[in-house]
Amino acid sequence: MFAQFFGGYLFNRKLCTAEDLTQAFEAKKHTRLRLGVLAINAGLMTAEQVEHVNITQQSVDKRFGDLAVELGYVTADDVEKLLAQQPTDYLLLGQTLVNNGALTNAEFEKAINDYKAENQLADDISDNQNEKLHNLIKEFYHFDSAENARICTDYVTLLFKDIIRFIGDDFTPLEASIVNSVNAENIVVQKIKGSYDATLCVCADNAPYIAIAERFAKESFAEVDDFVNATVGEFLNVNDGLFIVNESNENGVELTLTPQEFIKNGSVSFTSTAFRIPVSFPFGTIDFIIANE
Amino acid sequence: MNINDMTVLICDDSMFARKKLSMSMSNFGVKAVYEAADGSEAVEKFREFKPDVVFMDIIMPKVTGLEALKQIIAEFPDAKIIMASSVGTQGHLKEALKVGAVDFLQKPIADEDAMKVLENVAKGVL
Repeated sequence: MFAQFFGGYLFNRKLCTAEDLTQAFEAKKHTRLRLGVLAINAGLMTAEQVEHVNITQQSVDKRFGDLAVELGYVTADDVEKLLAQQPTDYLLLGQTLVNNGALTNAEFEKAINDYKAENQLADDISDNQNEKLHNLIKEFYHFDSAENARICTDYVTLLFKDIIRFIGDDFTPLEASIVNSVNAENIVVQKIKGSYDATLCVCADNAPYIAIAERFAKESFAEVDDFVNATVGEFLNVNDGLFIVNESNENGVELTLTPQEFIKNGSVSFTSTAFRIPVSFPFGTIDFIIANE
Repeated sequence: MNINDMTVLICDDSMFARKKLSMSMSNFGVKAVYEAADGSEAVEKFREFKPDVVFMDIIMPKVTGLEALKQIIAEFPDAKIIMASSVGTQGHLKEALKVGAVDFLQKPIADEDAMKVLENVAKGVL
């Protein structure tokens, strides 16, 4: 999931467009990580040195690693260690954006270094590191300003895991905003009741609403009808259910859910701080709302 | 009992959840699948069809799955009711088993878990 948040970081800083990211998420499935990208990520080579090796390679029939050693940029040991690394998802995204011409090596170098520094991430960031992911999400959405930062962070971390699990990994998280109400062509609302109350929503216009239902149900739909509502509602219900199971198991908090409500061309108002979490997919943007009432 | 002789009642307010589980049941080759969209309908359909297995959601409008479970067990103490819900907390699990549910499945329900339930009912384990 670090790839998606690195994508969100690049987008929010206008270093690449949503279209660049959509293309890169598709192309990265077939992208092989280059040694130059790994060397930049590890801080062993600068973007300028990588460019120099790339240019030299055009006139010399030698591999990148051998040339980089010959030019004195890295040692043979460094090359061996870099090659032994497992490719990480966020580096593959960066590599693909460089390959597609959306970023230069120099822009990539600056972006990856700034991103790691801003999020206090070490060189070994990779998937399956829950605590780092948790911190990344808290920082990305500035949940520290929320009264219940822990609840918001836990909920959104699970939400993104479930998006990857049930919808797909080709999304970019966009910057959150604080709202008092939302309106959309389609809104699904589910409430959490118990030790604390919360309102969770999925909001989308017709086309992305149908598309997210199609991904979850793995079938095609022509228009928004009761079955499409039930499908998006079930995605929210499964996610919210897993959240309250986690709350019970990990934090001893007992909660329950209300049946989902479906609102067509309408709005929902919140009595307390509500975070709007927009997520950009190739088929459009879906807004997820968490309001800790 | 053979799975091909079984009748199943699926109680869930989500049309999507009912369709998905119903398709799985048909693929397993059960004899008949009935559906109910809330707890009240679940009780009525149970009285009418006396299904061999019931998959019961918990969060439903009007009458909840736990209330429907209580009503069905009060009338039919041997009913094989499996709670199939997104809210599989220890609290819900304990309450459902106390009232008479024979098993609990966390949503989303994997086909192999649903099949295992049918096999266990067929073997008389549940």
